[in-house]
Amino acid sequence: MNDKSSELSEDRFELALAAYAAGIRQPASGLDNAVMARVRSLSPRGRRGFLQWLLAPQRVNVRPIVLAFAASVALLLMWPGRAADTGLASAGTVLVRFELVAPEASTVSLAGSFNSWSQDAIRLVPSAAPGLWTATVPLKVGSHEYLFVVDGQRWIADPTAHAQVADGFGQTNSIIVISPRGVVKS
Amino acid sequence: MLVERYRIEFGRYATAMVGDQDTAEDALQEAFIRAFQSLQSCREPSRFKHWFFRILTNQCHNARARRRTEPLDQHDTPARERADRPMEQDELGRAIEGALNELTAEQREAFVMKHVDGRSYEEIAELLGAGVDALKMRVYRAREVLRKKLEGLNGA
Repeated sequence: MNDKSSELSEDRFELALAAYAAGIRQPASGLDNAVMARVRSLSPRGRRGFLQWLLAPQRVNVRPIVLAFAASVALLLMWPGRAADTGLASAGTVLVRFELVAPEASTVSLAGSFNSWSQDAIRLVPSAAPGLWTATVPLKVGSHEYLFVVDGQRWIADPTAHAQVADGFGQTNSIIVISPRGVVKS
Repeated sequence: MLVERYRIEFGRYATAMVGDQDTAEDALQEAFIRAFQSLQSCREPSRFKHWFFRILTNQCHNARARRRTEPLDQHDTPARERADRPMEQDELGRAIEGALNELTAEQREAFVMKHVDGRSYEEIAELLGAGVDALKMRVYRAREVLRKKLEGLNGA
């Protein structure tokens, strides 16, 4: 085999690897519900269900800054003709500010049910306060689960979230609930 | 949700490891259930991902072993999509899929993580608990096996 044919073979080989990798399928998202249905059938704790949790009385801890932000969003929502200047990003969507104190972190991102748990989609940025990372994110009305990802590796719950929900695997996700009026519970 | 997160992160790995999408979904589902049932044995919750990955990999190896004993017509959802690519590329891709059966389990794991998931050697080392040099060697050997197989098929 001469040099030229080796080069060609190498090219075709790399082409084959790329074609193979590009065609590999991702398992369907229906798998998630199937797994959780089986997990719930195994776990008495899991049978409680998220809906029951939502309907039951819960202790809610709210940070003053978040409360102030939510209150201002609510006020602006009720102010006639000012909707465009409020925390509403668009109809049915509310701007929510997320914060995490992580002085040792090099990067902090936000992953949740609203972005398919992508680690890279939403980056928090360092604020003027030392160690405080923030991001303001448009979220749809409803309930969302989320976690912070520190340095691309450590998944941590929001220590100030009003509620944490078991993910069924011994860890917890933080919960944020946004009402149709734009009021945020966090 | 955790299941969604790890399905997205390890889904294509599972598909490439077992060779078809349906079997990969079964392997993932079994891995999640086994992880749930043996949570007590996860001694470092911060390393849940690595622990789950090992369970999943074992499920994939088991599924592949079972798959080899089943009739071909039971595998009706292939691992690879029909893509809008030139015929030759698609054929080469399919040839790689067939040639993967020639690899050892360790070579296949490392090869898939490198060439399907696109992970760095450092990431692979972290997940597999192996050294970077050893992993480079596994991937190199896997590539050589695949290259020879393809050359044989194409008469190169």
